[in-house]
Amino acid sequence: MNRRRIVILNTVIVFGFFAVFFRLTDLMVFNHAIYAERAKSQQVKAEDIQVRRGNIYDRKGRAFAVNLELESLYCDSKEVVVDKDGLQRLSGILGMDAKVIQAKFKQGKRFTWINRKLAQDTAAQIKKLKIDGIGFVPEAKRYYPKGILASHVIGMVGRENQPLEGLELKYNKYLSIAGGKVYFARDASGKQLSSGVDMEEAKGNDLLLTLDEALQYIVEKELDKAMAQWKSVAASAIMMDPFTGEILALANRPAYDLNDTGRANQNAIRNRVITDIYEPGSTFKVIIGTAALEEKLYNLDSKFDCSRGAIEVGGKVIRDAHRHGMLTFKEVIQKSSNVGSIMIGMKLGKERLYRYAKLYGFGDETGIDMPGEVSGWIRKPDSWSATSIGAIPIGQEVAVTPLQILRAYSAIANGGSLVQPHLVSEIRTPEGRTIFSFQGETKRVLTEKTAKVFKDILKTVVEVGGTATEAAVEGNQVAGKTGTAQLIDHRTGRYSKDRFISSFVGFVPADNPKIAMIVVIYEPKGQIYGGIVAGPVFRDIANQALSYMNVPMDEDYRNDLLLVSK
Amino acid sequence: MHNHISGMNLSVDRTYDKALLFIMLLMLAFGALMIYSSTAVITPLLEKKKITEFYYFKRHLFTMALGTAAMLIVYRLKTSFLKKISAPLLVFSFCLLLLVFLPYIGVTAGGARRWIRLWPTTFQPSELVKLAMVIFLAKYMSAADYSTEHYSSFVKPVLIMALFQAAFLKQPDFGATMSLGLLTFGMLFISGMRLRYLASVSALAIPIIYKLVMEPYRLRRITSFLDPWKDPQGSGFQLIQSFISIGSGGITGLGLGESKQKLSFLPASHTDFIFCLVGEELGLIGAALVIALFLILFLRGITIANRRKDSFSYYLAYGLTMMISMQAMINFAVVTGMVPTKGLPLPFMSYGGSALLVNMAAIGLLLRISKGDDDVPAEDNSNIMAKKIARRNIYNRKGHSR
Repeated sequence: MNRRRIVILNTVIVFGFFAVFFRLTDLMVFNHAIYAERAKSQQVKAEDIQVRRGNIYDRKGRAFAVNLELESLYCDSKEVVVDKDGLQRLSGILGMDAKVIQAKFKQGKRFTWINRKLAQDTAAQIKKLKIDGIGFVPEAKRYYPKGILASHVIGMVGRENQPLEGLELKYNKYLSIAGGKVYFARDASGKQLSSGVDMEEAKGNDLLLTLDEALQYIVEKELDKAMAQWKSVAASAIMMDPFTGEILALANRPAYDLNDTGRANQNAIRNRVITDIYEPGSTFKVIIGTAALEEKLYNLDSKFDCSRGAIEVGGKVIRDAHRHGMLTFKEVIQKSSNVGSIMIGMKLGKERLYRYAKLYGFGDETGIDMPGEVSGWIRKPDSWSATSIGAIPIGQEVAVTPLQILRAYSAIANGGSLVQPHLVSEIRTPEGRTIFSFQGETKRVLTEKTAKVFKDILKTVVEVGGTATEAAVEGNQVAGKTGTAQLIDHRTGRYSKDRFISSFVGFVPADNPKIAMIVVIYEPKGQIYGGIVAGPVFRDIANQALSYMNVPMDEDYRNDLLLVSK
Repeated sequence: MHNHISGMNLSVDRTYDKALLFIMLLMLAFGALMIYSSTAVITPLLEKKKITEFYYFKRHLFTMALGTAAMLIVYRLKTSFLKKISAPLLVFSFCLLLLVFLPYIGVTAGGARRWIRLWPTTFQPSELVKLAMVIFLAKYMSAADYSTEHYSSFVKPVLIMALFQAAFLKQPDFGATMSLGLLTFGMLFISGMRLRYLASVSALAIPIIYKLVMEPYRLRRITSFLDPWKDPQGSGFQLIQSFISIGSGGITGLGLGESKQKLSFLPASHTDFIFCLVGEELGLIGAALVIALFLILFLRGITIANRRKDSFSYYLAYGLTMMISMQAMINFAVVTGMVPTKGLPLPFMSYGGSALLVNMAAIGLLLRISKGDDDVPAEDNSNIMAKKIARRNIYNRKGHSR
């Protein structure tokens, strides 16, 4: 026994314990922050969750787009344990081939989707099977309570809730705000252990539209009827408040069911009213008509000799649909005489004609808050051909969208101002705070007087002697204009003899317009004239819309109408 | 006269050291709690193996019951019996150690053959070897013919140690090799063995160093503790996870049962690395408490040793105390990255039957020694008393001379 050695060894051991303590202090106090951070980074997995997109409501708060809370099923191949019976039952519940499921189980990955966005009761059935190594992650599925209604406005999202079309796309950054994360506790293998240790709940902002579900329904119903009646290739309509630019209804046919987008083809998805250009035909005569009045080239009674029923421009003969004889300025518009319009156009000249067309916004996007809008085009005067001055006044050699035409006529309706068409009036946070409110600017393009005078001319279009008597609405005066445009045959490069785009654009009640609307029927069969094909559609929609909007009938007008018909 | 002195001894020492028992019980309770915390999280994979929330906890309680039995049996053994069986026990433990290499009986886990099959469980003979070695050395060093000045007295235990170490290395079990070496040398050191002799044995380390140099991966594994971040997914993984566990605990810890690292980030969180779990869940306060318990256990142990004046009891008590304390310290040092990673459990706290059984038996022996020894001839006792009185006189005289 060696006392000195024992003391040495004891000292060493006691010192050792203290050394451990100091080492611990170093790790747990001085370096605590570093290790706590490292711990969090490996123990907690932040996963981007599909953000709950904001809802979309119409102007009266009716939901057009909401979220369904669903469950998505995944498996962990390393943990999965299932017997034949369990697999068979799982296959039955999911409606998936057992072999397909088995293949997913055997992928060897720690995380494989089996089937996503299952209904709650389906998920509950699967949970009852108590299969090891499968689990659920909550996911939101976009659901559109109105189905096909306003499909082109609302648009759609993909399976990952990524925006694809319409307002869903245009307003994605509001609907789907960044930062939706769910934090999972996980073990070293990366396996998720608990759902949502910490959820950075993020819900997008809600959109409030100018759209009205009832008006939208009326429009779509009537478009369907028109499609059936005229066996047309397509049909479109836009209803707008002519004073504010608020879109009340916007529809195209064909359309698609937003809850069944898998079956939607490109043709059905096309939002023709802003993405498709066409030669407008007679509706474009608003340009020469108002320009001539603004420039004081004519008065309402100025005479035009249209008795030959044709006019030669640059070696090309352009005809009226019917031979008219002598027409006043007013009648040229009322009866939509091409000959008279070209005479006005020639008097106006290239430069002024072009300037007024541009003033109305033709050749430029309207700036409506929807994706995919095209600008259309109108050539600059220096590149016009010899025949252009005969074509452009009557709506040929220009390409427009139905929305551009509607906006031009809204200017007549509201007393001369170009409005900003729009669909979203307000954006609200989930808490109800307004973060965006539409502030439109209007641009005066006509004097009030010209607008008034031209409006009066447009009223006569639906009266006896006009081209669109079928567009007249009972009890309220309509002001409007028909359009019948030939389509260019792509094989021959000439105007087709049997393919037309028939349209009617107008507003009602004429003196205090509540709605401005354009109806475009693409390639109707049997009849071609805008007044006959599109006019009645306008009338039927307007009748119901005014009734829905509680617009009183104008007794004077009713009496006048009765007198006329007598 | 003799009777009188023994009577005095009785009055002072006739009861076992209650503090030591209390500390051990505290550690056992603490350990069981932490084992439960570590193993109560059940993954589907474990469920498939029919491992439930209480699986490890129950098994641990069962081992504790066995350990208590071992403790009670050992407590009743007489010193003369211990001396008698010291050599046969060493041979027996060596035989058990060899059984590890037999097919069917030896169990391989993690690439090492360290266990023998004892249906329905397994036993790790290396734990018993340590205890047998301590008893053997106590007997050997207290023998009359033992001389710290003779090389022959030194060579014999060193050769026995080397024999065991060779078997350990074959398994391989570097942890056991190292701790047996430290234990043997520690005991020879306090006996007063010439330092020159002790130093001479470092030559025996040459084959080990040779092996390390020839197989660089071993060297890498050993040196990885110096910079675990160099290979965070490989050799440094265990230590980094250990650091993260301990470090994230902070001063107060995450709270009992709140460890995140036990979710399979930290390997062996219920066995060798249970101390990390203490640090993570109970913080520096909890960890310091554990260290303090082991420090007190050590101090109790050497106090018991100092009370015993016959050299066998002294060496035995000191050796057992050192065996436990050293294992604890190596465990602390390993999990805090102060020494290379070795597979050594924390006495009384880690899950693992063999170590717990042996360590509880060691406490049984310590309690036995603390109680005093009626086996020792009375004259031996009086001799020591006389020496003690004489020494006190010497000190007194020194004090006066100053």
